[in-house]
Amino acid sequence: DRSSGTRVSDTELRVYKDPSKGELPLLPEEHVQDSAKDVTYICPFIGPVRGSLSVTNYRLFFRCTDREPVFGLDLPLGVLSRVEKIGAATSRGDVSYGLACKDMRNLRFVHKEPEDSLKKSVFEVLMKFAFPVSNNMSLFAFEYKQVFPENGWKVYDPLAEYKRQGLPNESWRISKVNDHYELCDSYPAALVVPVTITDEELRRVSSFRAKGRIPVLSWIHPESQAAVVRASQPMVGQNGRRCKEDEKLLQAIMDANAQSHKMFIFDARPSVNAAANKMKGGGYESEDAYQNAELVFLDIHNIHVMRESLRKLKEVVYPNIEDSHWLSNLESTHWLEHIKLILAGALRIADKVESGKTSVVVHCSDGWDRTPQLTSLALIMLDSHYRTIRGFQILLEKEWLSFGHRFQQRVGHGDKNHTDADRSPIFLQFIDCVWQMTRQFPAAFEFNEYFLITILDHLYSCLFGTFLCNSEQQRLKEEVPKHTVSLWSFVNSQLEEFVNPLYVGYPSHVLFPTVGIRHLQLWVTYYIRWNPRMRPQEPVHQRYKELLAKRAELQKRVEELQREAANRTASSSSERAGSPTRSITPVQTFV
Amino acid sequence: VCVKKRKKQKFRTFSMHVLTLYMVKVYVSSSEIVVNEANFVRKCIGAESCQDDLWGKLVCTNFKVSFIAHNSLPRQCTHRLLGEHDIPLACVEQVVTVNDVKGKQKILGSNQKLKFNPTELILYCKDFRIIRFRFDEAGPESAKKVCLAIAHYSHPADPQLLFGFEYVGKRYHGSTGRKTLMRPVNGVDPGGGLQTPLFDCSSDWDREIKRTGASEWRVCTINQGYFISPSLPEFFVVPVSLADQDLKQYACCFYSQRIPLWCWNHSSGSALVRMSNISDPQQQRKVEQRISSAITKSHPLRSDVFKSDLDKNLPNIQDIQAALLKLRQICVIDSFEESEEKWLSSLESSRWMEYVRTFLRHAVEVVYMLESRHVSVILLEKEDRDLSCVISCLVQLMCDPHCRSLHSFQGLIQKEWVMAGHRFLDRCNHLKRNDKEESPVFLLFLDCVWQLWNQYPAAFEFTEVYLTVLGDSMWVPVFSTFLFNCPRQRAEHSRDFASSKSIHLGQDQALCFPPVWDWSQQFSLKDQTLFNNPLYVGKIATCVQNGTVKTFTHRRSKKNYSSTLRGLPSALRNGSLGPNDTLTRRNSLMLRLRSDLSQVREQQETPSERFVRDFFSRPVDLQGLLLPQLLPSHLSVWKLYFLRWVPEAQIPQGGPITAFHKLSVLTDEIEMLQNQLRQYQGAAGTPNNLHAEHSKMYFKATSTPHQSPAPPEYLSSSFPFSPVGNLCRPGILGTPLSKLLNGAKIWLSTETLANETI
Repeated sequence: DRSSGTRVSDTELRVYKDPSKGELPLLPEEHVQDSAKDVTYICPFIGPVRGSLSVTNYRLFFRCTDREPVFGLDLPLGVLSRVEKIGAATSRGDVSYGLACKDMRNLRFVHKEPEDSLKKSVFEVLMKFAFPVSNNMSLFAFEYKQVFPENGWKVYDPLAEYKRQGLPNESWRISKVNDHYELCDSYPAALVVPVTITDEELRRVSSFRAKGRIPVLSWIHPESQAAVVRASQPMVGQNGRRCKEDEKLLQAIMDANAQSHKMFIFDARPSVNAAANKMKGGGYESEDAYQNAELVFLDIHNIHVMRESLRKLKEVVYPNIEDSHWLSNLESTHWLEHIKLILAGALRIADKVESGKTSVVVHCSDGWDRTPQLTSLALIMLDSHYRTIRGFQILLEKEWLSFGHRFQQRVGHGDKNHTDADRSPIFLQFIDCVWQMTRQFPAAFEFNEYFLITILDHLYSCLFGTFLCNSEQQRLKEEVPKHTVSLWSFVNSQLEEFVNPLYVGYPSHVLFPTVGIRHLQLWVTYYIRWNPRMRPQEPVHQRYKELLAKRAELQKRVEELQREAANRTASSSSERAGSPTRSITPVQTFV
Repeated sequence: VCVKKRKKQKFRTFSMHVLTLYMVKVYVSSSEIVVNEANFVRKCIGAESCQDDLWGKLVCTNFKVSFIAHNSLPRQCTHRLLGEHDIPLACVEQVVTVNDVKGKQKILGSNQKLKFNPTELILYCKDFRIIRFRFDEAGPESAKKVCLAIAHYSHPADPQLLFGFEYVGKRYHGSTGRKTLMRPVNGVDPGGGLQTPLFDCSSDWDREIKRTGASEWRVCTINQGYFISPSLPEFFVVPVSLADQDLKQYACCFYSQRIPLWCWNHSSGSALVRMSNISDPQQQRKVEQRISSAITKSHPLRSDVFKSDLDKNLPNIQDIQAALLKLRQICVIDSFEESEEKWLSSLESSRWMEYVRTFLRHAVEVVYMLESRHVSVILLEKEDRDLSCVISCLVQLMCDPHCRSLHSFQGLIQKEWVMAGHRFLDRCNHLKRNDKEESPVFLLFLDCVWQLWNQYPAAFEFTEVYLTVLGDSMWVPVFSTFLFNCPRQRAEHSRDFASSKSIHLGQDQALCFPPVWDWSQQFSLKDQTLFNNPLYVGKIATCVQNGTVKTFTHRRSKKNYSSTLRGLPSALRNGSLGPNDTLTRRNSLMLRLRSDLSQVREQQETPSERFVRDFFSRPVDLQGLLLPQLLPSHLSVWKLYFLRWVPEAQIPQGGPITAFHKLSVLTDEIEMLQNQLRQYQGAAGTPNNLHAEHSKMYFKATSTPHQSPAPPEYLSSSFPFSPVGNLCRPGILGTPLSKLLNGAKIWLSTETLANETI
């Protein structure tokens, strides 16, 4: 069963109505590594549960044995961020293990230490397989060989996507200067730059931009030709270094848009942070050097602040919600405030491009965290194509994966170093922002909430190759597309699961979400999904599908009757030729 | 709706709205009298500048404050009593006059003097609107006069000065009574309109007794003529075992002689009863016992009676009023950006959401007693006229799917609020006499219903627009529903009024005020379709047409992320864990896990919690019991009601209405197909265009099918209301608001964004 095998545990405790079904499901190439009976799972909601625990090279599987009906716990090892033995063994030899997960929960087990001290505990096996990278093993994605009808690695073809946007054109060309990732190892091979700038000049610009991440085009407005351009910070430093090729490049970007004699540079950071970066050689564009450009800071905080915010959020929502101070507790995490700033930044970018017909350059420090958050959200607002299921996949492949968001580092796939300061929920934040938009515009997105949750679950699961590595170059080097399955193969092979039935595809429609905190809400179906008191609200989508079925059925009956009536009319008219027949109003059909 | 489309792009999406409308030049009826007016008045529209402001005439009548714009084209009006710029006097909360040159400001009451010439008038409305008029070009004297008139007429000295009396009274004049009324108030209407039971006759109660199978209960008529209790209706229901003689005897022991009232019977036979406090402490025990044993006798299983003390467990009316005032402060009075920063904690400290939750939770407790313990419940409240109304309605909405249809919901409000004597006159403070008595209990109830609706959108026949409009109708003082403290007061006032105005009532015993349920008093049939929930209507269609195929039984979807814990053992065992370990290091999971664990151990699930948990582990039957999700994270602010006037909080071309649009169109298509089927199946003679007239959906299927129509551009999260001109936050003594509102950085405006430097 393809779908159940690849679905990340969707409930904390899954009930098996038929006890025999509580067996361990195995994926192709998945093998049990160890199992133990008599493990106690300390469920924060219902108390201790005894059962057996199995560890495979992909998942942890707990099946309770002392309760009816049988239920279990099934999670990919990839979601584990740490596994820790807590305290010493009790007098009875019980040892506690704490498992912290990347998906907003903690698990705790109690298990008797094996009496034979040479034998490994199941949890030691778990630690080994939970962190394959730290143990010099490969991630399960490289072993998983499921074949899907569709090949998700073919979803994104950069040239086709640029062609969709009408590129190259008289102002923009596709440069091959980064074909071998020599200009910038974290950028994609295909880059869109102004025709007036030579590859040699680009090379010089790359030495002026952090990590060589030069300003290149992300998206162009089909009518006004205003462009969304992304980059990293300029290496201005304390002495105010300048680079005439960089200045020329920005001028060329502005010139490529005849509608406006001005451009905006959006620096995602708070101005204080941007200024502080000068000490480290970075900084921001000075108005002297870039005369027609206006610089705007968007006040979005860095990865460390976001990580801390999510940590606090987890404390507030897991395992239980404090009834009396929920709202102020939520406020104190600042999570929604960060979401608001990101959305507000993207909104300003989209507004400039759409309403101001002005080209914009977006950067933060390295241009791989806040920058893709902003550009991809702005693109979703500007271009309805990115609100379709495939379009959204292309957007992720392009703005996040090919432009080098450091997924490996930010998520820490298979790495036991949970305190790594490079980890941060940047991508989760982006998906949260998209979810907020889907709430405000329930008919504007082709995908449903389940699609977003699936993406997040497989961000951590390491079942698919999609989110592995830090850059396009690394993925090519590791031959990820060759050795792993793309998440989109799985998704696109069962699209109906992910479709929003309320979707109305109206093209060339720009979405301007309202970013006030009043209209943002905590994504409870993601962050609080483990709480058994939580039940998703009545799914309107489900009702809608039922109505669709009803309509189809009625239609069928109407058409049958129509045919009958037509036959009757035909036969009667043949009998009494020439007599006028009662005309039957044609029935409109809707599907 | 014919609209003059505004040129300014900013208002592109606001230009069309249905329920706020263009000024009607013809007044509501001859009963409406112009009291005072001022010309060359400016109504403030835009926050940043005055260029969008409207010039016109400000008129004060005995019904409303009206603004007649000079150069607007007449538009088709959809509210039948109020124009686009009208505010009923009863909706005016506070009249503030300002002279910004002299730096003076005064809140005007009735019969007051004003020592300065106002340059500005600010009206704070009970429905959260804030409306401003400028008198820069108006004659100073006429400006002053119109302000004083508005202040005076919005503080009527006597209930009979409320517009409803004139409005209804005029209909009797020069006629022989009832025939000239738009429609009879009571029960059956020849026009086929009013199907809502009003519970002002014994037959409505009889039907309710039969419907709920309460065979051991009877209609009691001892209060006819209101001889026993001043605040009870003439007809109510009591246990059959209590004779009229007993009831008369007990009556004097209760507060305001309120004999306990039967509300509803659960299918198990358990009754829901409401009761006021027993005022005589010496009799308390005895009377309580008699009542309880009578209720027990009326239970088929002779089950016990559970008393639920509402005063002890729920906020009182002053708490509720204080909460609403704070909520209003953060929703509409504080500047958007200012309140934005601390929105969540301010919302929490307003306590409104907490109260909503408390009421819902209390109702769930009562449901548990009825549903699971099979006992009858007495709702006990000192006067039995406020909190009991909320709780008894919520209990019935949760337990009884019948109450979730539009007409039964209205009947429910009739039964538990209007007839039971909720003091609408005092709680609405229509006379603005006693602020201590003012309390938005009914609005709180509507919010609780909205929460249920929001969690089970397919379970109710009505929409949130309906709930919002119902709340607003409290401030249109012509409906019997919201004008009086109890049925007796209505009878007395209307008798007095009739005799003082020499109105010949004919066979009527009292003036016939229309109930709010006569929606055609306010809206056209087309606009009333905004009340119909397509999910519910579609479902009815499915069931009716499709007896055997039950497409609507709920299936748990695979995307159900909650944990399913059906059938867990009830007792939580502590497991076999020894007391735990020692701390290893600071940054360990230990601390948190330990607290997890202790929570587990301390958590003693009460039987009612278990009842709730069991409910949530089963698939929901929308035609059965519905319990609300009570986690604080699952209750939301009722944005349509509280934020509809806030321009910055509007989602242009978005919001739930866009989904509603699509559902509405689909349901309309289904209705259309069914009509066609009926046609083919021999119901000959049904004209083909019948559909267009009788469709229950506001948004119709298009004539070009095969594709989903895009939602119309004018839709926004505020639809069908519009913030334009309805929320002008006052500056400090008349300073242009632009200064305050420029702070709203996140609200999109190319100009302001361009000029700003951070």
